[in-house]
Amino acid sequence: MTEAKKEKFIVPIGPQHPALKEPGNFEFTVDGEIVTDATVRLGFVHRGIEKACETRNYTQDMYLLERVCGICSHVHATAFVLGVEKLAGVQAPPRAEAIRVLAAELERIHSHLLWFGVAAHEAGFDTLFMYTWRDREVVMDILETLSGSRVHYSVNILGGVKIDIDQKLSDLIKKDMDFLEERTEHYMKVVTTDETFLGRTRGIGTLSRDRAKLLGAVGPTARASGVKRDVRVNAPYSGYKEFPVKMVIDQTGDLEARFVVRLKELYESYRLIREILEKIQPGEISTRIKRKIPEGEVISRVEAPRGELFYFIKSNGTEMPDRVKVRTPSLCNWGTITDVAVGHKLADMPMLLAGIDPCFSCNDRMVEIRSDSQPSQMMNWDGLRKYGIEYYK
Amino acid sequence: MNLSLHPLILLLVFPGGLFLMNIGLLYEWADRKLVARFQSRVGPRWFQPFADTVKLLAKEEIIPNGVHKFMFQALPIIALTGALTAALYIPMFGFEAAFSFEGDLIVALYMLSMMTLSIGLAGANTLSRFTIIGATRALTQMFSYEAPFLLALLGPAIAAGTWNIGKINTFTGENIWLILAQPIGFIIAVVGLMGKLELPPFDAPEAETEIVAGALTEYSGRGLALFHIGKNVELVIGLTLVVIFYLGGIANPIEFILKSAGLFLVVSALQSMFARLRIDQTVGLWWRLGALMGLLQLLAIIFGRYLGEILR
Repeated sequence: MTEAKKEKFIVPIGPQHPALKEPGNFEFTVDGEIVTDATVRLGFVHRGIEKACETRNYTQDMYLLERVCGICSHVHATAFVLGVEKLAGVQAPPRAEAIRVLAAELERIHSHLLWFGVAAHEAGFDTLFMYTWRDREVVMDILETLSGSRVHYSVNILGGVKIDIDQKLSDLIKKDMDFLEERTEHYMKVVTTDETFLGRTRGIGTLSRDRAKLLGAVGPTARASGVKRDVRVNAPYSGYKEFPVKMVIDQTGDLEARFVVRLKELYESYRLIREILEKIQPGEISTRIKRKIPEGEVISRVEAPRGELFYFIKSNGTEMPDRVKVRTPSLCNWGTITDVAVGHKLADMPMLLAGIDPCFSCNDRMVEIRSDSQPSQMMNWDGLRKYGIEYYK
Repeated sequence: MNLSLHPLILLLVFPGGLFLMNIGLLYEWADRKLVARFQSRVGPRWFQPFADTVKLLAKEEIIPNGVHKFMFQALPIIALTGALTAALYIPMFGFEAAFSFEGDLIVALYMLSMMTLSIGLAGANTLSRFTIIGATRALTQMFSYEAPFLLALLGPAIAAGTWNIGKINTFTGENIWLILAQPIGFIIAVVGLMGKLELPPFDAPEAETEIVAGALTEYSGRGLALFHIGKNVELVIGLTLVVIFYLGGIANPIEFILKSAGLFLVVSALQSMFARLRIDQTVGLWWRLGALMGLLQLLAIIFGRYLGEILR
């Protein structure tokens, strides 16, 4: 026992673990049940999408970038399309922009409900998990009716959108929004009054406003700590100029606040969707855009369900982009976990992880560190293979 | 009702051994199905637990490096044996208990605790971090629910004036249901049973989102199957005990089925109503609330008996 005491007791969560839906590795050093240190290791699902973008034309890239995330696919395509349109100097028609916002908000509803279920599951509240996912089917059905697909909607095209809404669909969506609003009210009651659930969320993982700002948290994680960060409000893009949203802020910063903020955002989404359906103007849904995009660089920011999504696109005047850089919101929020984990119990860790709504495959990037003493080296495939075999021998 | 069969048959086929194992699997199905329906899912078909167990029993048992091999293989058997032995002292299905003596209540309860002890040892036996944390939690949980659960079962025993389960059964059958006379004891007994069986929300020792499968993470094949069967048997016995003590006893099989089904509904509903408690919350709940209420109940019973004797 004496020898064991000297060693650190590290509990590995991942890359394969029931709490994780995607691979990531977290090592929690524990003393009994108390966590004394936490590290994050990512990069298990790097897919090289950014590089692949450079060998495809802009239209193909849009479909490729939609595949960055299986939950917020539309928002990726929107960020890319908005950037490219800015480079090309093309403005999508107002109706197209409204439909983009409509799809984005429907996606936010589905993403938040999905997160809500997963977080409840991490807390061991499987009933809530099953109920939210059942209700999430309603919004999934809307998205399927709208676009023909449940996950990758492909609503956008360069210069507009390719789907339109009619009166019948509009009535259906309104009816479903009423149902979802009623359910959300119920969930709000559960989250704020259920004793066992509050025992797992209230006062857990409190992130102060200053720390959130310092660590660069984004999205609901930051807003739950009272940081006013919402691209839809701070720098309205696309249809959000015409249909503004209210920013949802909570000052507490604990897990409960993150639940409350996300649920309140759902209300805001329901309101916005109803407003869009009421006020949408008839008209064109797309404009023409040239295949070759003029030379230039552009930054495009949108608010994904998890926070600020950042795109940098560099064009060299051909059909294919020179560089596409994606920074997803999950990447910004990892720091908050290692920051607040210390001092909490091991049982709180899955909840804390789920609290930022992580999306692993979105944020895995390859980083090349260049130093003068060690010049970078090029390897061909055989060399790399040999190196790999030697390394793990 | 009395059953005059050869003791070996009593032990191995009915009501012990084979029959109990099968009824345990049936209970597991009922539990899974009920929870599924409460969670608005469809749930498994009736033979799913049987299929799972048969499959597990047929599979290879992997013994990980660094374990005490004999312990690793013996612990599931000890756990199952403990649960099955406990059944011998309990009038299952309305028949008289196979064996009984004054004080068999204590023996039965400690036989039931063998399961948790075995799980704790099994977890500590392997080197995996998940199993060690799971074992620590399982044993911590045992120390928190065991005392209140015992107190809750002592209430009826004191009221009946005997520590023989069979006699308590007769006593509760003749008097009003003790759930009315000792409601606090009933609540503690049901919740304590859920803690004993590590059912949600007391499933911190096997919380899959934290420590994979807790103490049993390294178990596979036969060992895991035996632990599962043992747990199911314990579920049957636990429910029977609570029915005997608080729901007016069991006089015949029909009464047994109806009463335990009713209790099962309550237990399943409780399982699907709460978020999982952290282990420190579980301990706090039991010692701050459970044990205290149990003691109060016990004092009230003793005082009531004393008063009754004076009046008489």
